[in-house]
Amino acid sequence: MKFLHERLPNGLDVIAEVTDTALSTSIGFFVKTGARDETDAEWGVSHFLEHMVFKGTTDLSADEINRRFDWMGASANAFTSEEDTAYHAAVLPEQQIEATALLARMMRPALREEDFDTEKLVILEEIRMYDDQPPFGADDRCRTTFFGHHPLARSVLGTVESIERMPVETMRDYHRRRYSPGNIVLCATGAVDFAALVDSARQWCGDWEPLAIPPRRAPLDLGAARGPTLELLTRPTSTLEYAVRMSPGPAGDDDDRFAAKLLAAILGDTSGSRLYWAMVDTGRAEQASCHHQDFLDAGMFATQLSCDPEDAEELLGIIDEVYRGAAEQGLDRREFEQNRNKLAGRWVLLGERPRRRLFDVGPEWAHSGDYRSVADDLRTIENLSLEDVHRVLARWPLHGTGSTVLAGPLPLDPSLETASEAQ
Amino acid sequence: MKQTLHSATLDNGIVLLGEDLPGLESVAVAFHTPAGAVHDGPGRCGLATLSGEMMLRGAGDRTSRDIVEVLEGSGIQWAQSVSTSHASFAGAMVARQLPTALPIYADILRRPRLPDDELENARQMVLQNLAGTEDDPAHRAMSALRQLHYPHPLGMPSEGISADVEAIGIEDVRSFVAAHVVPRGMIIAIAGRIDWNDFVTRVEALFGDWDTEDASTVAIGSRGERVRHVPHDSQQTHIALAWSVPPYRYDESYEASAALSVLGGGSSSRLFSEVRERRGLCYSVSAGYHTLRDYASAICYSGTSAARAQETLDVMLAEIDRLPGTIEEAELDRVKSRAKSALVMQQESSAARAAWIARQWYHLGSVRSLAEELARYDRLNVASVEGWLAANRPAGLTVVSLGKEPLEVPREVSA
Repeated sequence: MKFLHERLPNGLDVIAEVTDTALSTSIGFFVKTGARDETDAEWGVSHFLEHMVFKGTTDLSADEINRRFDWMGASANAFTSEEDTAYHAAVLPEQQIEATALLARMMRPALREEDFDTEKLVILEEIRMYDDQPPFGADDRCRTTFFGHHPLARSVLGTVESIERMPVETMRDYHRRRYSPGNIVLCATGAVDFAALVDSARQWCGDWEPLAIPPRRAPLDLGAARGPTLELLTRPTSTLEYAVRMSPGPAGDDDDRFAAKLLAAILGDTSGSRLYWAMVDTGRAEQASCHHQDFLDAGMFATQLSCDPEDAEELLGIIDEVYRGAAEQGLDRREFEQNRNKLAGRWVLLGERPRRRLFDVGPEWAHSGDYRSVADDLRTIENLSLEDVHRVLARWPLHGTGSTVLAGPLPLDPSLETASEAQ
Repeated sequence: MKQTLHSATLDNGIVLLGEDLPGLESVAVAFHTPAGAVHDGPGRCGLATLSGEMMLRGAGDRTSRDIVEVLEGSGIQWAQSVSTSHASFAGAMVARQLPTALPIYADILRRPRLPDDELENARQMVLQNLAGTEDDPAHRAMSALRQLHYPHPLGMPSEGISADVEAIGIEDVRSFVAAHVVPRGMIIAIAGRIDWNDFVTRVEALFGDWDTEDASTVAIGSRGERVRHVPHDSQQTHIALAWSVPPYRYDESYEASAALSVLGGGSSSRLFSEVRERRGLCYSVSAGYHTLRDYASAICYSGTSAARAQETLDVMLAEIDRLPGTIEEAELDRVKSRAKSALVMQQESSAARAAWIARQWYHLGSVRSLAEELARYDRLNVASVEGWLAANRPAGLTVVSLGKEPLEVPREVSA
């Protein structure tokens, strides 16, 4: 496996992790923009724009783009998150040049008003689809409360209102500012012909005009405002109650983020964790899990619970006790080693799939300008000590803190509301 | 592309399948026992799923926790699932961990304790999962579709029905495991960085002395009504359609599945172009091929807001009706290209290949090489697909809608 990097004169980074034994080539354009980079008037534009990129350029129709991807046998898609917008395709190696060219051309979409109006309907359907699904908005609401005035508070899809009132000019302007070459990484993994990749980048992206990009980091105040809060979203027709709880954790540039992921696995992986044995194995909860998520300038532990509505309050209490017990009594070496081996095993398996590696290598470079090989990550995981995990628990205790949102049939209960205010 | 496939059959009937994937560090192994949901029995829908869960709750000298701790402590990613035909136990791992994994799976399959005092926990776990599926409208629509479309009990939900799961006793579980977790009809598939001879020796030692029983057969009953609306208080209405096509073991299944892929397989497919791209009616719309051993279906799905659901259904039906006689060579070329490319890329995943070779054996009684499979796609052409469509026009559709209001389904669609 080798890593290669070249920067075009206009600032576009071209990177590749080349695996000689790979049978496929994955190519992605990672744009350093997402919901956190939007203003109120732009709420949802990053994701809406991701859809519009598939609607064609001045000389390529949407149908033509779809036909070309299918003709190449590509597995192509895109996603938008708080911090990234990515367009990617996995193809057989002989299609690398064709696939790169198509993705590159798409980065300069026509953004026709007629397409914009039709696609708006699709975005609204997507919002309604998620609104009908667990956790019924609890995740978005929790992020809003947890991040407060920080840009990460903004949900990716936007709202029905923000999408309906958005004019096409807003998107054109956003695209011009955010899709500047210095704000984009072209990344490839697997069986990559790097010289050809750079040639493709020069041919299709070389004339993209560079613009200055404002800094993205924002100070995150995790003071009193992050104290325990509890909110209820009543969904009378849902069967289970869904809870999402967020509490502070190490950010993406913090060396403790690996230990935080191990801690989250010990406490709340979907199998074999403390929460699993406490309430999933016994059938008290459908799901009770914890994971660590990091961003450029912030990090959090996210806990998810789904259970019978009448058990929700008690189980949230048990979760808090599990977290408190870990902080006060520490973790034992056996569960630490079991989970470290579990993470390492997971990493090896993910690492041998070039189609999956694209989503590690691309965002890592986009966020930090660094490359980490699977071996680098494995070394980091294998070198973690029990003390590292205990230090994370001490720095970011998970108990008695955090923002919690419940969505489900539970009615607005005055006692819960009062408890929340009193905390 | 060079490909090495292996197979062997033990005296007790267990079939072993293997594929070398030299570029990988991992191996994936999967044990498919013929203890699928088709054997649940009347009033016991969910028995296979509950039994599969119970098998993990202590086996041989190991407690439930021992099993998970050894598997996860060895970095083995394990999974257990129940389908209509099989209860499956699988693991993916760094190749050197295989000798640790195999004896654990042997205990789970041959010496499950099925302890009385774990039944309530396991039952609650299954019920929690069922309650979760109640909140997933797309899942509910598809589940209702399969239940109506396939003859009983082939379409019954493997995850169970709450009232039935409540009624299952420990003796039901023990009899089920004794009757259906048996060597005859069992497939053990392995793929990745394998040493085939070593694998066969180990499996022979662990499973070779397991007495054989004949796998049981199931009486197939009748199917449900053609059209059903499931009332559900949601913003979106979910539409699911099915009609019968040949199962995978018939050669013409390739023509059937290609026709369906033209209809709703990729982003240049007709449904995606017409329903989503041109009209903006929905976020998701697709058509695909679903097969059991003796029955198979074309399945179409879309979810859209209630006010636009009738138009979505009408456009879907119009596209299905328009399909025979209109397939273009360029469309079929794209379908072939997508299928072939997916098949090659699958070789990068040990777990995907272990699942694939087992699936082939179950349906065909043999494993087709990649070269054979690719050649079969090359033989697809407009004449063969149109020929199949002309003789098998989509008809007798099962139509399920789930949402606030029922939809109008033209009578001739389901005739």
